[in-house]
Amino acid sequence: MTDRGTAPAIVATGLTKRYGDVTAVEDLSFEVRSGAVTGFLGPNGAGKTTTLRMVLGLARPTAGSSTILGRPFTELPEPAHSVGANLEICGMHPGRSGRDHLRALATFAGLPASRVEEVLDLVEMRDAADRRAGGYSTGMRQRLGLAATLLGDPEVLVLDEPANGLDPQGIRWLRDFLRGAASQGRTVLVSSHVLSEVEQTVDDVVVIHRGRLVKSGSIASLITSTGVRVRSPRAAELAAALERDGAEVRADGTLLVVQGRSTDQVGDLAFAIGVPVHELAVEAASLEEVFFHLTSDQEASAAA
Amino acid sequence: MSRLVGGELIKLRTTRTALGFTAAVVVLTLAIVLLTILAGDPKTIADKRSALAVGSSISALLLVFGVVGAGAEYRHRTLAPALLVAPGRGRLLAARVIAYGLAGLIIGIVMTVVALAIGVPLLAGQSGPDLAAGDYLRACGGGLVAIVLSTMLGVGVGTLVGSQVPAVIGTMIWLFILEPLSGLIDHIVKYTVGQTATSLGGDTGGDVLSWGAAFLVMLAWAAVFLVAAALVDSRRDVA
Repeated sequence: MTDRGTAPAIVATGLTKRYGDVTAVEDLSFEVRSGAVTGFLGPNGAGKTTTLRMVLGLARPTAGSSTILGRPFTELPEPAHSVGANLEICGMHPGRSGRDHLRALATFAGLPASRVEEVLDLVEMRDAADRRAGGYSTGMRQRLGLAATLLGDPEVLVLDEPANGLDPQGIRWLRDFLRGAASQGRTVLVSSHVLSEVEQTVDDVVVIHRGRLVKSGSIASLITSTGVRVRSPRAAELAAALERDGAEVRADGTLLVVQGRSTDQVGDLAFAIGVPVHELAVEAASLEEVFFHLTSDQEASAAA
Repeated sequence: MSRLVGGELIKLRTTRTALGFTAAVVVLTLAIVLLTILAGDPKTIADKRSALAVGSSISALLLVFGVVGAGAEYRHRTLAPALLVAPGRGRLLAARVIAYGLAGLIIGIVMTVVALAIGVPLLAGQSGPDLAAGDYLRACGGGLVAIVLSTMLGVGVGTLVGSQVPAVIGTMIWLFILEPLSGLIDHIVKYTVGQTATSLGGDTGGDVLSWGAAFLVMLAWAAVFLVAAALVDSRRDVA
């Protein structure tokens, strides 16, 4: 057994994947905290699925290694009980029903057929389970993929873009599902190229871009790096004072976004120079913007 | 290992592929037996035996069945979900080979029953010497062996190529163009997959292998492709 709660559930060390001259993932190291929901974020083509394939033993790293619950995935004694994973490369035979697809997987894992009915209930797919998979919507496929991850009631869930193709109700359902998994003490690693899909659910983030690590840490640390939002009719005066004080300021009319200062510090400074403040807040709404900034094409030289 | 074979058997039972091939085998068996007896008018032991030895021809179809089944894993991306609950490429491939061998055996038994049910009464009306028990055994037993080994060989080919449509097309070209062309070179053609299957069914006409030699050659074909498939599969990234 691993030290649950202390040892990280997933550890990637220097993972690298090259296809000829193309480097898909380069020297990627990160840890996924036990019992936390971690968002694995990056634009399409950043190398997320490739990384997950390497962690799950489906692709051989050019260099580096990874462990889940202290061991390489392929060396886990009962993998289905340790890790449940659904990647974008997991398909279904279009002529086979969802129930039969899950029955085959349950048999591979040595689980009883009754477990298939339980997971079908968990993802609310019992009614459609006897239809051929070729007729399923993307949302139904996502649910069946999730059902497969739950078969062995695993400690760790690895989900690759589970929100892709879901309608707003589906995304809300997924959010509840992820929260439920987290409240049961599971470790969840969920990849997405859209931060807003997961930002309300994740505790930690690992952000990659072009196969390299850009940022990893708590979602709060991502928010702190976004700065403080302050609105003032005398914005220019306030901006000048903040800059004299060494803060980094971005101005947009009466709105300033201040880096490297807390709301307390900005408010105190405004009071000290007698400038009225109409709004003062942590720039939390622009999480998406930070993500975009982190993964934009300008050199990610500020790599954490 | 029994879990893996069990899972592969569920996969085999839950699409229409195996059923479709079984139906094709029944139709072809009927056609071959009826044509060879009614149109061929067999009188000698060898002719009568080859009228029942449908397994030789049917084994080509079962080879394609194995290729289609193994290729479907790549086409429909069903390898990844299986490997995520049961890592270990070699074991999973071995389980698939066993499951397809069993499916081939069952389809072969259906074929044999159909061939005997039609062939025995029809042959009884033919003149000339009657078939002995040993003749039945060679025609039917040899056909079954050819079918099971061909199905397994097909799984090897499909896995080795790793892509369904090219694997099926390649198999067709191999069986129906390249192997017959090999007849241009002396003493080669009897070692081909197609001719080996014919020899296994008990055909003794011309330059063919004995039953035992044909069995070994067919076994070698299957073994070479399955070992190559296992080596390639263990190194290939699942996409």
